[in-house]
Amino acid sequence: MTDASAALSEETGSTRFRKDGRWAALLSRAGLSIAILAVIAYGSAVSPVFFTTGNLVNVMTSMAIIGIVVVGMTFVLVVGGLADLSVPATIACGAILSLALQPMIGPVPAFVAAIGLAGLCGLVSGVLVGYVGINPIIATLGIGTIVLGIVQASVGGVIVYGTNPETAMLVKSRLFGIPTIVLIFLAVALAGNFLLARSWWGRWTFATGGNPKAAEAAAVPVRAVKAGAFVITGLCSGLSGALLGLTLQSARPLVGTGYEFSAITAVVVGGVSIMGGAGSVPRAVAGLVFVQLLTNVMVLQGVRTPVQGLVLGLLIAGAVALDVALRRRGGA
Amino acid sequence: MAASGSALRMRGISKTFPGVKALSDVSLCAEYGRVHAIVGENGAGKSTLMKILSGAYPPSAGTTEVDGAEVRMRKPADAQKLGIRMVHQELNLVPDLSVAENVYLGRMPRRRGFVDRAAMLRDTKAVLEELGAAIDPKVRLGELSISQQQLVEIAKAYSAGPRIIVLDEPTSSLSEHETAALFRILRTMKAAGIAIIYISHRLKEVLEIADDVTVLRDGRLIDTRPAAGITAAEMIRLMVGREVTNVFPKTPSEIGTPVLKVVGLGDGRDFQDISFEVRAGEILGLTGLVGAGRTELARAIFGLTPASEGRIEINGMAAAITSPAAAVKAGIAYVPEDRKDSGIIPSMSVRENISLPVLRRLSRLGRVSMSADRRLATKYTRDFAIAPPDPERRIEQLSGGNQQKAVIARWLSTSPSVLILDEPTRGVDVGAKAEIHRIIGELVAGGMAVVMISSELPEVLGVCDRVVVMRDGRASPPVARAEFSEERIMALATGEAAA
Repeated sequence: MTDASAALSEETGSTRFRKDGRWAALLSRAGLSIAILAVIAYGSAVSPVFFTTGNLVNVMTSMAIIGIVVVGMTFVLVVGGLADLSVPATIACGAILSLALQPMIGPVPAFVAAIGLAGLCGLVSGVLVGYVGINPIIATLGIGTIVLGIVQASVGGVIVYGTNPETAMLVKSRLFGIPTIVLIFLAVALAGNFLLARSWWGRWTFATGGNPKAAEAAAVPVRAVKAGAFVITGLCSGLSGALLGLTLQSARPLVGTGYEFSAITAVVVGGVSIMGGAGSVPRAVAGLVFVQLLTNVMVLQGVRTPVQGLVLGLLIAGAVALDVALRRRGGA
Repeated sequence: MAASGSALRMRGISKTFPGVKALSDVSLCAEYGRVHAIVGENGAGKSTLMKILSGAYPPSAGTTEVDGAEVRMRKPADAQKLGIRMVHQELNLVPDLSVAENVYLGRMPRRRGFVDRAAMLRDTKAVLEELGAAIDPKVRLGELSISQQQLVEIAKAYSAGPRIIVLDEPTSSLSEHETAALFRILRTMKAAGIAIIYISHRLKEVLEIADDVTVLRDGRLIDTRPAAGITAAEMIRLMVGREVTNVFPKTPSEIGTPVLKVVGLGDGRDFQDISFEVRAGEILGLTGLVGAGRTELARAIFGLTPASEGRIEINGMAAAITSPAAAVKAGIAYVPEDRKDSGIIPSMSVRENISLPVLRRLSRLGRVSMSADRRLATKYTRDFAIAPPDPERRIEQLSGGNQQKAVIARWLSTSPSVLILDEPTRGVDVGAKAEIHRIIGELVAGGMAVVMISSELPEVLGVCDRVVVMRDGRASPPVARAEFSEERIMALATGEAAA
């Protein structure tokens, strides 16, 4: 993954660093890859468990669920939409509906409907942010709370259980030793990277995040592009939630709590600008890989949870400070 | 407060910005109890001079004396300490606070560590009464009309007990009746011995209120005279009176049929009842003072803020311009006024900036064809001699003129029939300016219709075939090239009769 991400970021992530010094450029381009390798080396050295197939498959599986959200969140940050805080609600929407609708309409339609409804939640947030002009934090927090309330009410606030164990088997199955769920994540990441880095929609996303006024004056439909980023995040979290539900074969309304924070952490640590206009899916995924491996090493080493939180918090602060510093040097 | 001698004496003030000399060797002398008006065209250096006086900019050279003692102001607070107060054109007030809170913002009277509201209300009431303004100090500022807010801004400056008050275009949002009220206030302040510096485009008002008049042009001091012996026509001549050399050669082109026709366009706020047409192969100038509604009109024609009244016709057919995308489809292109603010996407390369409006055409199955994208960028980089000739460079690393060329290039691939340029040469150096004029000349020679908004009279007169002058949101009948003269345009822009 790291090699692939480094190769892909050549295309997209490099432009904003071009003006900076050679060291800064090197650090920003290769820094994350070096950090990932360092964590792997350290983890292998201090823990006999770390570099085993079992542990790495575990890391990849838990990474896949967040990773799908990370892909969507990248669009929100790049378009200048700050963050989508409705992720816990859209994940819950995906998880609960994909299980609860199974007896009524069958597993596949339930899966699709769950994702579709999560996308609809994203559309509502997107319209509020893009067309009405409400601050994204407020809009997504509000919509998230409302959606979570509806979902909770509709299932009576209790845990929903799966009725079709075969679906769980499918999600947990492996292809060439790689869990299916990881393959789904890779497919989403590739699609997200294509959309952001290669398609006209992606170029519009960068333009809107870079300078919305100029983008509008260049006939880019900035409102729709902004709204679109939230729809993409909604769909991604819906998918992530549906997969989570099928894996666990049970879903609580609070199943998605904390995922928004993990996703934002990964995206920001990956060097995607919180101010919009710069970033890429491979960079965000590299940020995720780093954070996940680091957390895994800390868990294996028995580092206490508060300390883990401290480390992750420092990482975010450092990444944001670096972003601001680079921007200032870039003269923007 | 009363004192003998000059309140303010600025000597040999110069100010250089990177690449531009905004002021050179300007001197200004204001007396207590007199109104000193400063007049000049857009960009003559009035605002820069006032920013130096208010401590917002340090001068590159020159000295400032207040009350006969030399002073050095590094920040606005320094100027305020010396008793210099500004009343800005764009109001610096907080709509959600009360009138009294706004007047005493940042210096509220205190008692035992808490704001003494009673004293604040009492004092505000007294100041407003002294100025003859019937405004309740308790009311929320946002509920007042713009002209009442203007009075609050003046009360705010006055209540600080200033020695010098600077008013920058205070009447731009006032009706005639309100202007008369303002003048009564100014006379009150004058009688109190305050030195008043009054900046305005409205020459009639200047003649009415001013005791002395200073004329600036192109960053230089032209003359300071008592207002008593001067006429509006003379002021216009002094403001404009430069040698008209033809630094803007006009490319001859064949003028064809009307392409863009605007009929009775209005947005109910910034402009009303605008009608004009532009023909193929023609450059129509749109000029007027800053704030006359030119940019708002251009934005409406391009669908950024659609007009509420009137209609737009393209090639004789009514066009519903509800969004920029609709405007592009109708064949309209727009190069915005503030390049940095709304022209370029700084984080993107020159190539990405150029292809933005035609991305979908360059794409197949959603994927932007990199080869087509590069071809387009290379073509315009070469045709427009964009320097450095590297389309992969980030656009913010280019000079202003080259950025502007890229923004113009962006539109040519949409093959527009009308190109609207808003101040296309502002802030670019002389060489780039000539190149941009050459590009515009080639476009009209190829049959495009161009609307060029510019505040720079020599440019307008040199480049355009006809000129429409806007004033207070209304447009003059077009002036044909044969009838061009700076005095005539200036007279239309200020609403004064020419000599």
